[in-house]
Amino acid sequence: MRQAGTYSGIVWGGISGKTGPHLLPLARIKKIMKKSSEEVKMISGESPIVFSKACELFIKELTQRSWMVTIKGKTRTLSTEDVASAVLATDLFDFLVNLVSESAPAPLHPKPPN
Amino acid sequence: MEHGGGSGGGFNRFYKHAKSTSGLSIVYGGSSNSNNSNGFINNTASTNNGNAANSNTMPPPCTVREQDQYMPIANVIRIMRRILPTHAKISDDAKETIQECVSEYISFITGEANERCQREQRKTITAEDVLWAMGKLGFDDYVEPLTVFLNRYRENENEKTSLRAEPVLKRGIDYGSPIVMAPPYGQPGFHVGHHQGIFDGATAMGGYFRDGSGGGAGGGSSSSQASLTNNFDPFVQYK
Repeated sequence: MRQAGTYSGIVWGGISGKTGPHLLPLARIKKIMKKSSEEVKMISGESPIVFSKACELFIKELTQRSWMVTIKGKTRTLSTEDVASAVLATDLFDFLVNLVSESAPAPLHPKPPN
Repeated sequence: MEHGGGSGGGFNRFYKHAKSTSGLSIVYGGSSNSNNSNGFINNTASTNNGNAANSNTMPPPCTVREQDQYMPIANVIRIMRRILPTHAKISDDAKETIQECVSEYISFITGEANERCQREQRKTITAEDVLWAMGKLGFDDYVEPLTVFLNRYRENENEKTSLRAEPVLKRGIDYGSPIVMAPPYGQPGFHVGHHQGIFDGATAMGGYFRDGSGGGAGGGSSSSQASLTNNFDPFVQYK
């Protein structure tokens, strides 16, 4: 899968003097950061920038892992259950376990022991 | 009243995204949703009245879930498509799930970063706090590429402010090579979890070190020693 162009829109847009474009809206990121806790007071300008890239990496990793589940099932449609399976199978995504078990209407298989 | 949310029967789960143009989503109570520690405006057990939600005139008291709790779904989908094969399809539910996961991720990391700030009695969450939190919470693979990304961003910002002040050639940095107006990188080819294609963070705008020895300028390059000549044609744009 080609990764070319991943950086070009995000980072090198700045070379020509433009500030953007980031793939994800910074103001929205900032809003979500503030809502994560009442104790969040101030956020540096660079934090949403780091998050914009981090979220991109996160989406890619989650999508990739979910897709691995999808193709095992020999379908071509990535479903919520595939996402849930990927979350359960990945220790890194433990913080998402509650989230995906809420969205999935069907009971999920238990997490395999690692 | 058309919300798109009345999908008939079974309100045993949230219907999260009504088809409205206002950016608001109407959520009908009906799920025994328990936790929500990340500040979403969300339906809680206190407004749970699922059985009454079957009327199709006036919906029961419902929680409005604002779309600005999440990353725009179009952006999320665009990023997903970069990873997936062309023929792949994504269910609408999966898109929404991932959208929620992203917000959860931001909250998760921010919470940890914020705790560190509080411990150290600082009021502002910095990019370094965010990166530290990611490392602590297991996202080590992200830290290095994000550091590179951040360094480049900072150099861009410095470039914008200092470009008028002095020529790029005389940035006061000792270049190991005669290349000073090298353009940015050609095809970085970034992979999660791999070091291939990740550059030693260039310490000065318009210059880079072929032998991978990072200079001191520009503030702490990343430690990646991947070959800088990987996939490069330094003069591809600047002929």
